[in-house]
Amino acid sequence: MSRYILQRLLGMLAVMFVVVTIVFIIVRIAPGDPAAVMLGPDATAQDVASLRARLGLDQPLIVQYGIFFGQLLRGDLGESIFLNRPVLTALAERAEPTFFLTLFSILIAGLIAIPVGILSAYWRGSLFDQVATTLAMLAASIPSFWLGLLLIQFFAVRLGLFPVSGYGGPGAGLFTRLSHLVLPALSLGVVSSALILRFTRASMLDVLNDDYVRTARSKGMGEVRVVMKHAFKNALIPVLTVIGLTAALLVSGAVVTETVFGLPGIGNLVVSAVLRRDYPVIQGALLIVAALYVLINFLIDMLYLLVDPRVRY
Amino acid sequence: MRIREALLSGLAIVASGPVLAQSSGGVINVATIGEPPTLDPMVSTADLVGIVTQHFFETLFTFDKDWKVTPLLAASLPEVTDGGKVYTIKLRDGIKFHDGSDMTSEDVVASLKRWMDQASRGKQVASNVEKLEAVDPSTVRITLKTPYAPLLALLSFNNSAAVIMPSEKMDVPMKDPVGTGPYKLKERKPDQYIQLVRNEAYKPLDGAGNGYGGARKPILDEIRFVPVPDPNTRVEGAISGQFDYVDSIPVESYDRIKNIQTSKPVILKPFGWPVFVMNTKQGVMANTDTRMAVRLSLSMEDMLAAAFGNPEFYSLDGAMYPKGYVWNTDAGVEGRYNVADPDKAKALLKKASYSGAPLRILTSRQYEFHYKMAQVAAEYLKQAGFTVDLQVVDWATLTQRRGDPALWDIYITHSPFLPEPALIGQLSESSPGWWSSPARKKAVDAFNTESDAAKRPALWAEVQKVIYDETPSIKIGDFNALSAQSPKLEGVVPAPWPYFWNVSVKK
Repeated sequence: MSRYILQRLLGMLAVMFVVVTIVFIIVRIAPGDPAAVMLGPDATAQDVASLRARLGLDQPLIVQYGIFFGQLLRGDLGESIFLNRPVLTALAERAEPTFFLTLFSILIAGLIAIPVGILSAYWRGSLFDQVATTLAMLAASIPSFWLGLLLIQFFAVRLGLFPVSGYGGPGAGLFTRLSHLVLPALSLGVVSSALILRFTRASMLDVLNDDYVRTARSKGMGEVRVVMKHAFKNALIPVLTVIGLTAALLVSGAVVTETVFGLPGIGNLVVSAVLRRDYPVIQGALLIVAALYVLINFLIDMLYLLVDPRVRY
Repeated sequence: MRIREALLSGLAIVASGPVLAQSSGGVINVATIGEPPTLDPMVSTADLVGIVTQHFFETLFTFDKDWKVTPLLAASLPEVTDGGKVYTIKLRDGIKFHDGSDMTSEDVVASLKRWMDQASRGKQVASNVEKLEAVDPSTVRITLKTPYAPLLALLSFNNSAAVIMPSEKMDVPMKDPVGTGPYKLKERKPDQYIQLVRNEAYKPLDGAGNGYGGARKPILDEIRFVPVPDPNTRVEGAISGQFDYVDSIPVESYDRIKNIQTSKPVILKPFGWPVFVMNTKQGVMANTDTRMAVRLSLSMEDMLAAAFGNPEFYSLDGAMYPKGYVWNTDAGVEGRYNVADPDKAKALLKKASYSGAPLRILTSRQYEFHYKMAQVAAEYLKQAGFTVDLQVVDWATLTQRRGDPALWDIYITHSPFLPEPALIGQLSESSPGWWSSPARKKAVDAFNTESDAAKRPALWAEVQKVIYDETPSIKIGDFNALSAQSPKLEGVVPAPWPYFWNVSVKK
């Protein structure tokens, strides 16, 4: 088993290397220039050129790549062009809102999707199932920004329960900061619940027809125990996978929601970095997100080992 | 939630009782369109940088409500001698930087040197400066090679600004923003907030506020600039009352804002002008007749209607400056603005032997009205016989591409009405568009070197006439800007770069 884990770890490193290189190339072949953005609309071509030189952007790509890679090996993600601080610090500052947003969204999604998915499968074809599947399809097709705006309209503007935007001002306590996350987490949670619901339902349907479920029933076991202990436990693997991947997606893909709600998270940082062409931040953020992705995948695989003893290599 | 917050704030009051008792100005949250790219006002020409930094950095001069230059850190307007070549500037006494040090002429000289070295507008001045010296601790002298009338306006502007900072804080890039302004920077959390607190040691000028000039009284305890990039969220933030001032909201939200109690509209009328800048150096637009044909084919009315919808927010106006400005003139406009005559345009295209080469229009959806104008323009241009290639890119790409004359023929931008016409970028030979002709040189030089304020409007009329004759750019019209403020705020003056000194919160 430890060999398997070692193999997986080496694979992760290789993936990271490829990601780093692709990100580096893509951000640099995209048009646009951080110097021009920073200097504003009335800057002259000479100003832009001299700032480019100061930032080292006039160097050949291969030289820039070498410098970047060297820094990376020393654990340094470089300095943001715009934020006046190292990329790692900028990322660390954004980690908290993104972490809690992801956590809350997944909790909300799981709380909606898993019970409804189980019941939908159990009462397959019933009115409950039909309504739930239709709602899930609807939720999956709602753009999260639109749902976000609706939530803002109702809960923030009409009822005044939650803030519209931001993550609290100077000195805001954790409680205030978290209150800023309720609406975005709700909008992301509802949208993500659709996928998890469908996986739960499909996976439950598979196992509910299996022999061991029938056996359990024939032994006179109560329905709740049959469903939860025998069926759900075995249906859990694909559900865990999809929850894990949704979490990874949320870390990187909450971009639109973070922008709508003005949340200073990692998604928001990536968007503004792309708009400003803040190369070190784009590279650093994508690198971290890729690492998270790879790590979550790895953790899901490790969870398989725990949940299903058959997955032992 | 409420109970816990109440408890927490109760504790905070007990803990900081004496401090709260002293300060009574309140804290305001200002929603801005995003995060400023830098806090160094010399380096950037972005409006957002000027809006935020003008609260903690100050210039020697500034503009009053009639856009006349008025002293700020200088004790008075400069003494101009030697036929407009020598400017002797007396500094105000007792001005302290936020780090507690005194402002002296050495700081001013060092700052102006940095400005001429780093700022686009400073470089504009630098080539014309012979000597910059500290005459005594409170006097600075600038000696020019030739008279240059826009100097004072450039020293006053908050965009690419000649701000004064301590001589030991000249780092590039700026490390520690220390100014003299009514507010000082306390904390910046990028994409979250920029927190400014009152400068207790600030000494405002006597009297009342007068535009950007006059007394700047720091009444509020704190100003927090909060980036809210999504325009719809800014509107909702104004309506919910989360923000006390919300900069730049879509004009479509006007009806919602004006009928509620939590927020009221702030209309800046007129704010600025959208402009189509032509590449006069290379390609299709290098020919004056072709450029003229573009203008004759366009309906400014339709473009403005598409871009701004509600007629309360735009007006047809071919003059470079609207009525109310000393620079307003009809010179050259007659029969050349809002013509929308495809036949006339076709005739000109024939004269110019236009080959049908694609007319590359560079625009961005960063400013939705640019894109809407481009769509309308494209249809009119097609009617006149142009082959149109509309290139919609993001703003960062546009600002880069426009620097290369091989890549575009027209790009779309906009500008507020700048207090001094010499600040208009397109008049400079080096700005993208590269307009260069004997007529331009003659008219612009005459305008720039005339230091008699009374004679300058007539010389500006000449410049406007040449702009219409040679069409290096096309002004589409005037437009107004919409922002929102809480009814509790008192003293907000609609301004292109909104400011919050002299502003208080109604109790």
